[in-house]
Amino acid sequence: MLCSLIRKMCTTSTTSLLQDTSSLQKTTSAYFNSAINTMTASSPIHSTISPPSSPAMSIESDFEDNEETTTTQPRKIKVMIIDDNSVNLTILSRLLNKHFADTIQLTSVQNSGLAALDQLTKDEVDLILMDIDMPVLSGVETTTAIRNNDSHSEHSILEQNMNVPIIAVTTSDAEEQRELYRQVGMADCVSKPIAIPKLRMAIEEAMKTISTNG
Amino acid sequence: MAVELRDDSDNGSDLSRSGSPSPSSPTPSLSNTTSNDGEGIVDHSTFNQLLDLDMEDDDEFSRTLVHNYFEQAQRAFGDMDAAMSASDLLGLSRLGHFLKGSSAQLGLLKVKASCEKLQYYGQGMDAAGQHSSISNEEAENQIRILLIQMRREYDEAETYLKVLYGEQQLEQ
Repeated sequence: MLCSLIRKMCTTSTTSLLQDTSSLQKTTSAYFNSAINTMTASSPIHSTISPPSSPAMSIESDFEDNEETTTTQPRKIKVMIIDDNSVNLTILSRLLNKHFADTIQLTSVQNSGLAALDQLTKDEVDLILMDIDMPVLSGVETTTAIRNNDSHSEHSILEQNMNVPIIAVTTSDAEEQRELYRQVGMADCVSKPIAIPKLRMAIEEAMKTISTNG
Repeated sequence: MAVELRDDSDNGSDLSRSGSPSPSSPTPSLSNTTSNDGEGIVDHSTFNQLLDLDMEDDDEFSRTLVHNYFEQAQRAFGDMDAAMSASDLLGLSRLGHFLKGSSAQLGLLKVKASCEKLQYYGQGMDAAGQHSSISNEEAENQIRILLIQMRREYDEAETYLKVLYGEQQLEQ
């Protein structure tokens, strides 16, 4: 039974399993549980970003929480983008789909902070790219609402979304403004016009905080 | 002065557009920013990054995006005129910031710079974004002059892009 479970977790079919049956103790449930816990204890959610030519980054599922998960294939980062300017949204969408296709799945495109908050009460995301200067709710105000679970509606923001990394994408990138973004809980700030290497670096750094914080 | 276009195919030959390119035509790219009125209309690296988002031999994405920008800019200018008539300086500032973002994404240097000034003037700051002591009336006068300049810069950028996409002949 243990070997069967290990086999399911293995990322390759060529991994060999050697079972030591020299001691009856090793067939007890305690040993079984210990073995499983050892294998899964070191698999927090983590990710790295790689250029398209490198192996794709991944977010690995927490096996302890989902024993039904049989796939060990890495999944892409689910990203929400928010901007009140349709031209900017179009460019960023296309840019992500072309240059980050191996690692990112663009799951949500929102044109306002309110719409984003509403969506965050329904679907989980792994990363948010947010414009700052938007009417009604600015990027700073939207970030504060996310961190404080204030969806501006009767529904709560999904727990995972409350601490999701948020990267500001804006022309308002002076140092004092960047400091404000940090204070409200944003991970980084990428200037417009967007430079792909800088966006890639910002995403990589932001996603590292997930693995650091567990 | 002609806009040089680079063929993205291997032969590397220069092509000049005489009409709307078909989907099989090479996508436009900028090798310089020359124009009748001088340089500095478009930032090469930014706009070429936009062109890079086109499919191979198909400029539909960038062309459509540019036209969307034209429409957006026209609406913004209309809103600016209305805000000017109403002496709505904060509204003008917001409109300046709004158009600055998309202008920056397309690499339209002069338009972006003027939009930024509008953003600052509308908030009672100087052109560099520093606090100033000018009155609302003085700010309105500055903005009135700036809007004329901005419109001229936009028209220049629009003409440049339309020539680039073969939708307008370059005036000799």
